[in-house]
Amino acid sequence: MGALPVKTARLLRQMLTHAFLSLSAVLVLIPFYWMAGTSLKPSAEVERVPPTLFPGHFRWANYIDAIRQAPLLTYLLNTIIVGIAVAAVGTIITVLSAYAFARMHFPGRQTLFFTVLAMMMIPQEMLIITNFRTIAEFGWMNTWQALIVPFWVNPFNIFLLRQTFMQIPDELYWAAKVEGMGHFRYLTRVMLPLSRSTVAVTVIFTMIWIWQTYAWPNLVTTKDELRLVSNGLQNAFTNSVGTIEYELQMAAAMLVTLPLILLFLLLRKPILSGMIHGGIKG
Amino acid sequence: MLKKYDLVAYLYLLPAFVFLGIFAFYPLISTLITSFKSDFQFLTGHYAGLDIRHYAEIFRDPVFLRALGNTCFIAFVCVPATMLIAFVLALGLHALRRTQGLYLTIFYLPQVTNVIAAGLVFSFIFNTHFGLANMVLGWFGFDPVAWISGEGIVGSRARYLEAYARCLFVLFVYTVWDGLSLQVLLFLGGLKNIDRQYLDSAMVDGANRWRLVRHIVLPLLSPTTLFIFVTSVIFSFRAYAHVVAMFGPSYGPPGDNSKMMITLVGYIMDALGDYLEPGAVSRAGAAAVTLVLMVMVVVLLQFTLTKRWVHYR
Repeated sequence: MGALPVKTARLLRQMLTHAFLSLSAVLVLIPFYWMAGTSLKPSAEVERVPPTLFPGHFRWANYIDAIRQAPLLTYLLNTIIVGIAVAAVGTIITVLSAYAFARMHFPGRQTLFFTVLAMMMIPQEMLIITNFRTIAEFGWMNTWQALIVPFWVNPFNIFLLRQTFMQIPDELYWAAKVEGMGHFRYLTRVMLPLSRSTVAVTVIFTMIWIWQTYAWPNLVTTKDELRLVSNGLQNAFTNSVGTIEYELQMAAAMLVTLPLILLFLLLRKPILSGMIHGGIKG
Repeated sequence: MLKKYDLVAYLYLLPAFVFLGIFAFYPLISTLITSFKSDFQFLTGHYAGLDIRHYAEIFRDPVFLRALGNTCFIAFVCVPATMLIAFVLALGLHALRRTQGLYLTIFYLPQVTNVIAAGLVFSFIFNTHFGLANMVLGWFGFDPVAWISGEGIVGSRARYLEAYARCLFVLFVYTVWDGLSLQVLLFLGGLKNIDRQYLDSAMVDGANRWRLVRHIVLPLLSPTTLFIFVTSVIFSFRAYAHVVAMFGPSYGPPGDNSKMMITLVGYIMDALGDYLEPGAVSRAGAAAVTLVLMVMVVVLLQFTLTKRWVHYR
């Protein structure tokens, strides 16, 4: 200690920090690189030992072949339809209950809110067993409803939006009340415009949630026309269909992954700051 | 002061609680009851009686114990390792100004990558012949490793354990890659909440960086750390889809017939898949109740520890 001059020590530390961070970033990016690289290699090149780090020439036709092998575009469209249907109704439900918990006084508020919080802890998979039966009894097997309705309530989104609503000062409400505004008008005219970015974040989280969901759709749909991306990808491009053509598998993985990544890159600012600041306060 | 209640609140909460009731509260209780019904038949609803037969059954089932072991490996080996890396990354990021956003964007990417796609990519990276991992090992003169392979494991305990260790390593790498994203963000959020005054005054007192981290940052960050640990552990109890993508629908490398890499949720899904067989759904229920009990233990641990040693400002 103390052998190095302070300035040199600081410079050294900064260089080490940058080296560590960029090394980690590269490691995180490697799977994306390997996926993209493989998706463009001709079949013969994929089976070369040792593999090539960079495709010899780009074979874009892999993407067309992947779409021919399975109705990937249908899967993507289905996922978007389900995502929008879940977000549309789910957001209304989230906004209404988040507002009630944040702004209204009523007997049982603590208990009901605690119940919602507790539901955040219960793994969805625990509920699947009975929900499977419920859906069968409703006659909803192989329907859109089965993929949409059970996702309408998201306790985490309610929690997140309530946190944002609570940061809006009460004085605004009293002022609005003097002007004759009721709860509903106050919510739609004042609260919602002020909390736009959190609402957007909950919509994005819903999209991510639907994009990643695998177990439930696998259980309640058997028809190809209703498959979501995760199930379609797992069913059509793994060795259950014979030998794996890795270049097609990776092209399909790219097609399934890119839309969500692009959406994230477009909206990364509100998402990241929502996670940093809204994460644990309260 | 006279307080007027907003009874209209119940109307606002109605939609949420109707759907929570149908798809969360009812199944929670129903699954609990189902787990005690012996020889429960899914289609007719008939059952022989109420007992703990199916709990005894799953805890004697080697596949269930394997599922329990693998799930605990993810929760209590992979998660702490990820947290350590995420903490160091967040410390580094906290010192940055301009490039912080770029790094955060990169670290967040696994969150928005389809879980099956990611699993398939990892499986291919660790492919024995055409994979990137073995190519890199080759650069340093190492022989290729058969990462996901169950060759010759059927008769030999030692070969089985070796194959298992290699598959656990692949699972470990995936879990760290996938888990880092959220944890870095949450740690960074926690660091941003620490008042700069504490750090500045300690610096004035001549504390070096390690002691600063050890005696000031870590204690002040302990609520965040505990929160990250608990949420990550609960989340990791649900590991399923990526395991299917990496190791296939039979949860093991080719050549394995023991469901080597199965997780608790995998066990539940498999039992549920056999719903025509009497008792299978109760086994799924018993496994699901075990899962919920594990979650409750972790949450209780959080409450106890919060009272004990978490420093709140």
